Amino acid sequence: MNVEILFAVLTGLPLTILITLTALGIGTLLAIPLLFGLRSTNRTVWFISRCFVDICRGIPPIVWLFVLFFGVSVGSARLSAFAAGVIGLGLVASGYLAEIFRGAVKAVHAGQWEAAHALGFPATSTWSQVIGPQVLRTALPGFTTYAIALLKDSSIVSILGVAEMVFTTSQLARSSDLGIFVYAVAAAVYIGLSVPLGVLSRSLDVKLRKAVA
Amino acid sequence: MSEVLGPQQRGMTIPSQAITSSFPLDSPSAVLGAPKVQVSHLAKAYGDNLVLRDVSLEVPSGSVTAMIGPSGAGKSTLLRCMNLLERPDAGTIQIGEHLIDVAKGIAPKNLAALRRSTGMVFQTFNLFPHMTVLRNISLPQQRVLGRSSSEADEISHRLLSRMGLHDKAGQYPNRCSGGQQQRIAIARALALDPEVMLFDEPTSALDPEVGAEVLDVMKELASEGMTMVVVTHEMSFAANVSDQLVVMAEGRIIERGDPKDIMRNPQHERTRKFLHAVMER
Repeated sequence: MNVEILFAVLTGLPLTILITLTALGIGTLLAIPLLFGLRSTNRTVWFISRCFVDICRGIPPIVWLFVLFFGVSVGSARLSAFAAGVIGLGLVASGYLAEIFRGAVKAVHAGQWEAAHALGFPATSTWSQVIGPQVLRTALPGFTTYAIALLKDSSIVSILGVAEMVFTTSQLARSSDLGIFVYAVAAAVYIGLSVPLGVLSRSLDVKLRKAVA
Repeated sequence: MSEVLGPQQRGMTIPSQAITSSFPLDSPSAVLGAPKVQVSHLAKAYGDNLVLRDVSLEVPSGSVTAMIGPSGAGKSTLLRCMNLLERPDAGTIQIGEHLIDVAKGIAPKNLAALRRSTGMVFQTFNLFPHMTVLRNISLPQQRVLGRSSSEADEISHRLLSRMGLHDKAGQYPNRCSGGQQQRIAIARALALDPEVMLFDEPTSALDPEVGAEVLDVMKELASEGMTMVVVTHEMSFAANVSDQLVVMAEGRIIERGDPKDIMRNPQHERTRKFLHAVMER
């Protein structure tokens, strides 16, 4: 019986993971140009990036979802619930991730830039060979923390009717007399995903620190 | 500026590729004396703080110039202006054949050429922590000079051997002592065949015994005819190795000349005070 409940809850798991990864992907792809925008010495570029980040972060995810789902139409076609969900979560993620990356770039010792400049590295090599790899290491804990938060936040997409894990769980809860127990199973699945992710991130972090610092 | 024919680095053997000239010189002194570095009327301010006030300096090819003076005198700023890590507000900088006039703006091409002709060694080494020692030295050669990885590695290995560090090639910098890291940093700079080596307090972060290893490498470089500018607090290095001593205070060069003359008989009151303070320690 319990195994059956677990399986029923798990039918939403692939979509939960897909939403999380897609939103994380969108967020990361947007965060990289935003990072350079936030570091730009051009005031206009900086201001536009600053506004973008603050708007993305400042609006609650659920408002983003409603705006995108009910408010955005291309011709007569509206965004699908899934698309609105991942774009909304992706936009919010881009703001946070841009700030995580910006902090990580700032944490790279000034001497690393100076060494690269003094050696005559072209800007692309400075970023790809010297600064980038060190930023990845520094940004990793913050990035994983955000990914874990996003895994759980992906559940709000259920409100648009996307059949991810919380959606399937609440359907099961309503159609059976199991009540809160089904939600407890779902909670256990979320914990079962996020704890190993956290452990993995920490051990990776320790390994990288040993190799670097 | 007179054109200098012949090898830029008299007797330089690190690395062997450095010498490609087909004009053999009668005597090394033919090169000595021609300025390799020439800065004129450099000025630099941070807000109201004038760090450099109309500084002019010549460094003859194949010679060692030591810069001393109290902290805040502008020594490091002057050195860092030579490869434009600091951008002066006014003045000109000439390294070898590359001339930069700050008033005319600095084209990226000229900046790259200037950086390529200078090698810099920092107080804090600034090795790349995520790369092995070998890659620290090889990567710049590939990215800046376009050398193949095998060619670059060969040069790196040779330089590491000369530094007595051939067994460190596969290690990460954090596995090396401070003195070793600084010698690796010197090797990294030398691998790009610079015309001038700039040292910014290379031994200040090291304890005296370890610092001596680094000074030995620098002495060897000097004896091979590398043009060097060294900001230092090592008075014996300044006295015994340098050909020209520059004393700075409050953004100006207050005294320059033969190191032994200045140390024995300083002309400027500020120099006397400074030398007195460092000798007393």
